[in-house]
Amino acid sequence: MDDPDEAGPRDPRRRALLLLLLAAYAVPPIEWAFAAPADDAGRDAFLSASNLITGRSKLDPGLTSRLYEALVADDPQFPAHVQALDVLIRKRAIDPLQLQHSLDTGQPALAALPRKIATAWYVGIVGEDPNARCVAYETSLMSVAVSDHLMPPSYCSGPYGSWSQKPG
Amino acid sequence: MPDSLAADVVVIGSGICGSLAAHRLVTQGASVLILEAGPRIDRGQITANFRNSSRKNDYMSPYPFSPWAPHPDYHPKDNGYLVQAGPYPYPAEYIRVVGGTTWHWAAQAWRVLPNDLRIKTLYGVGRDWPLTYEELEPYYYDAEVIMGVSGAPNTGSPRAKPFPMEPVAEPWPMRRFRERLAPGGYEVVGNTTARNSRTYDGRPACCGNNNCQPICPIGAQYDGGIAADAAEVAGAKLIPKAVVYRIEHDPQGRIAAVHYYDPDKHSIRVTGKLFILAANGIETPKLLLMSASDKYPTGLANSSGTVGRNLMDHPSSSLTFDAEEEMWLGRGPQSPSSINTLRDGAFRSERAAFRLDFTNISQVYAAAQDLITAGVYGPELEKQLRYRAAHQVSVKNVLEVLPHPQNRVVLSTQKDALGLPKPEVHYSMDDYVHRGMAAARTHYARIAELMGGTNLRYTPEGQYANNQHITGTMSMGNDPKDSVVDPFGRTHDHENLFIAGTGVMPTSATCNSTMTAVAIALRTVQHIRQTA
Repeated sequence: MDDPDEAGPRDPRRRALLLLLLAAYAVPPIEWAFAAPADDAGRDAFLSASNLITGRSKLDPGLTSRLYEALVADDPQFPAHVQALDVLIRKRAIDPLQLQHSLDTGQPALAALPRKIATAWYVGIVGEDPNARCVAYETSLMSVAVSDHLMPPSYCSGPYGSWSQKPG
Repeated sequence: MPDSLAADVVVIGSGICGSLAAHRLVTQGASVLILEAGPRIDRGQITANFRNSSRKNDYMSPYPFSPWAPHPDYHPKDNGYLVQAGPYPYPAEYIRVVGGTTWHWAAQAWRVLPNDLRIKTLYGVGRDWPLTYEELEPYYYDAEVIMGVSGAPNTGSPRAKPFPMEPVAEPWPMRRFRERLAPGGYEVVGNTTARNSRTYDGRPACCGNNNCQPICPIGAQYDGGIAADAAEVAGAKLIPKAVVYRIEHDPQGRIAAVHYYDPDKHSIRVTGKLFILAANGIETPKLLLMSASDKYPTGLANSSGTVGRNLMDHPSSSLTFDAEEEMWLGRGPQSPSSINTLRDGAFRSERAAFRLDFTNISQVYAAAQDLITAGVYGPELEKQLRYRAAHQVSVKNVLEVLPHPQNRVVLSTQKDALGLPKPEVHYSMDDYVHRGMAAARTHYARIAELMGGTNLRYTPEGQYANNQHITGTMSMGNDPKDSVVDPFGRTHDHENLFIAGTGVMPTSATCNSTMTAVAIALRTVQHIRQTA
């Protein structure tokens, strides 16, 4: 078993690795620069559609990125589809309560998207079994939406007996 | 690992019954070896598995099955381990790990009612137990002290001594059920649970994680993992990943050894003076049937032909509705209160008795999924989610089924990864169950009315959830012709072979089965000590 303290900061291998990591952080890789416009369009459309579907105008940027990347990893067509969905929503000014019905009847190719996006944000799950994975739990909107009353299950709800009090 | 091992007592299965029996025997000076088919697991890892799970409502998802010792797993798809012969599905869940299935129980530590044990004499159905409530009572108390049990004093099960702990604080919504149902004649009482209301035996008081199932993150409720740890600390040797596949007898019919495979199918023979099978109500009969020999062609301990027969559980129906006032289920333990006044009466000659149980499980996850499935988006999604999280409640029954020989566990022709037969279940529901369910529906409706309920959603008629209380498959009795073990858990056919677990219960009775199985197991150990 290696002693974790054995290789200290003066270890030349560690120093080289550290410099490499710093360089990577400071200078975006070239692939990223080329991919940026298309990626940005997909991300923008995802954020816009997410605002409508979740009913929230402010969404955490970090979680937005993580969910978007997970959705793209789950379905490479997601960026194109979410852009098409966003265009449709903007063009027709669709009421979110009518969105699913509207897609089911008129745009079946996009009909699965709102549930995917809502599930990602509210339940924190991306993908279908057996490929489903949990991207968020404590920060999922289902947890956030009720956080004035409930902790997510598996987290302590308070001191012993606090649950006997009237909620509020 | 040597090819052979030996101990005074060999226990097969490290669940709550096997581990507590092992603990007591090793404390009394015997050398004890526990063989567990599954691996060791860690509370922190299982809690992390739950938080990372993509199926938070699937209590099995944090417990992956082992290829060499699979347990039934139905999601995301059925792993095919528990073969269903029908006609009614019996999707039992259990966990093959060190500590067994109580890792994910709701800590319901109920005693039976005295009349549960005399159902044949009193009501002409089912079968009587070969022991009385009075004989069992001291062992219930013994188990309650070990496990740290508390509860209400008025649930119909007499007790000689008070509970070792004060009841767990009543969650707000349970108080509201109690207050609003009382005028309708319903007495809502705190459940009898192995959950700490204070620091007990080195474990903390409940802090309301609302995650009793699938895992209590802090060990505030007792489970088989705690029992297994205690047995090892006391000196028992526990071998995980040891899949017992054959019980060997000598020419006189005494058990000489058991044989187990490690995950690489290396076989090890374990000799002992006394053997206790505690591998649950499906795996233990499977092992007995697999151990058939020339002398015992239908399997060991099976001269009665009843090994694996009389399979029972507790089916449940339920009603979900929106209560008039804000309840906010999800604060405190998951299953805190119930109605116990419907567990006994002359009606039992005609239809099943039941306990009515109120859930306190957070409704947030289920509500979010339901709303998304319904296509509710935008501000309304959060609004309706909050409404349902605050108002949605449910009541279910835990209903007694009667023993029927055709409901049974047999060996499937299908094999698992080690080449061992999978268990196959034959199960059906009779009209006694259906009539009991019909009676429950009238109570559900009345309860909803008293709670000012709206948006009533009954489970479909004839479709019942299962409760994983696997009982009856190795029933105890005085007559070797119609039972597998005697009133002390000793098999009629093999003097040094005992069985511990819910499988020895002759009827499923009107409450969750773990506590009764533990009490009987402790009585078995006492008997072993007195007769050794």
